[in-house]
Amino acid sequence: MRPLYLLREAMTNLRVNRGNVLIGIVTTAFTLVCFGVFLLLYLNLKNVSGTLQSDIEVIVYLDPGASEQVVSLVKKRLETEPAAVTLTFVSKEQALREFSEQFPEESLLLEGMDANPLPASVVVNLSPRFLDTESLSAFAERVKQLPGVTHVAYSQDWVDTLTLVVSYFELGAVVIGMILAVATVTIIANTIRLSLHTRKEEIEILRLIGATGVFIAIPYVIEGTILGAMGGGLSLALLKGVFEFFRLELNASGWFVGVEHILPIFPRRVSFLLVMTGMLLGCGSSVLSVFGLMKARS
Amino acid sequence: MIQLFHVSKFYDRCVALDDVSFRIDKGECVILTGPSGAGKTTLLKVIFGAEIPDSGQILVQNRNVARLRGGAIPYLRRTMGIVLQNFQLLPKKTVYENVVLPLIIQGVKRREARKRVMDVLKAVGMEHKQKIHTGVLSAGEQQRICIARAIVNSPILLLADEPTGNLDADLTTEIVELFRRIHAEGTTILLATHNQQVVEQMNGRVVHLQEGRVMSDRETTS
Repeated sequence: MRPLYLLREAMTNLRVNRGNVLIGIVTTAFTLVCFGVFLLLYLNLKNVSGTLQSDIEVIVYLDPGASEQVVSLVKKRLETEPAAVTLTFVSKEQALREFSEQFPEESLLLEGMDANPLPASVVVNLSPRFLDTESLSAFAERVKQLPGVTHVAYSQDWVDTLTLVVSYFELGAVVIGMILAVATVTIIANTIRLSLHTRKEEIEILRLIGATGVFIAIPYVIEGTILGAMGGGLSLALLKGVFEFFRLELNASGWFVGVEHILPIFPRRVSFLLVMTGMLLGCGSSVLSVFGLMKARS
Repeated sequence: MIQLFHVSKFYDRCVALDDVSFRIDKGECVILTGPSGAGKTTLLKVIFGAEIPDSGQILVQNRNVARLRGGAIPYLRRTMGIVLQNFQLLPKKTVYENVVLPLIIQGVKRREARKRVMDVLKAVGMEHKQKIHTGVLSAGEQQRICIARAIVNSPILLLADEPTGNLDADLTTEIVELFRRIHAEGTTILLATHNQQVVEQMNGRVVHLQEGRVMSDRETTS
């Protein structure tokens, strides 16, 4: 009988105080949307950075004048490298063909030339264990020393920059998250205080007939938790809506054909996290508001 | 049942209770009289733990109220019924919902609670209004509901502070009759009033307070 009564009281609080509750829900949702946007940006950047990192290739350019024997020696040496997972030999002719396919307009530049100026190369895919900056540069240095190798190229620099940006986002998410959490707690706590104020007389009556502070406080804690959860739910709906719109727009733009796997992600745990955060913030702030009730004597 | 030993209470520098000592035995009916500001309400408040005396000791059912911690006060109040002048009812709840509240607080089962509420509503003549919101009831009806709520958990002590303060002479007689019946069933009553009609109609001991001091303590018969 008591849990039902307490739940009913909480629902009554929400109904009676609906103006303030609505403001509380909207403001909680707004702050959680801000947090959610930041979190999604962070997660997506991290995802893109991770995907790009795993796709890093090292291209070992060979001397155009190198004999077949030297080329074969380079390939053999590369095969013995523990970092190398797959090796793909790209001949001069294949390089020219690929260049013409990828850059059809620029291929005219090569037409006037007597010989094919593009060098043969070996494309090396590395094991994920060797994809950090230090291992990559050590690998490149070792390969550069091999006879018949002119140049070693890999796109690590901008991936490093992206990783740095992600770590800044990580820090930013923590700081902004904390600021927004304080704001949400303040908003919900004030809503609960207003609710307490409007029911001051009722609280006095409950005390008079022997209600404990906890008994009086529980409906307000339930009220805060529901308010927080509703704020979290609303923020989730808003974020999901904006996210889907954004994703459809990107799909329609055709910029990501072939690399759809790096399109924006909205992990299920973000949905769960938003609603849970709302609930926890709501519960915490209402406990803060009713703390005095639990200790009061009269 | 209740023992007060040299109880004093001050609000700023005003004396509310000044060295008050007396005892109330089980089953007694004590009328606390005196003009406004005599200390009647303060005396009741120190007994039900809403105020802490500045000095002295108060024993209620062998518990020293002056030394009870905040968390123990609700349990003390569950053993007593309290009726105040301004009714203290929840206007947006029905008669039934108001009266059942002490039982909900004590965790009494629904069926048992329903039976007890209906019994007390019958005793105060309000069973036909159980579904009506208390906000629309007359003053006399509201006070009867307050009394029903105060006795629904069968308290051994009933405290009443000016229970007829907002009622006319006829309604006062009705309420006094109700208190007499509750007392006849064995409940100890401490009733504070400055209404001479109540003093005359109630059978019991009269303790007269003035400026926070006990001026007289005598038995009356009607």
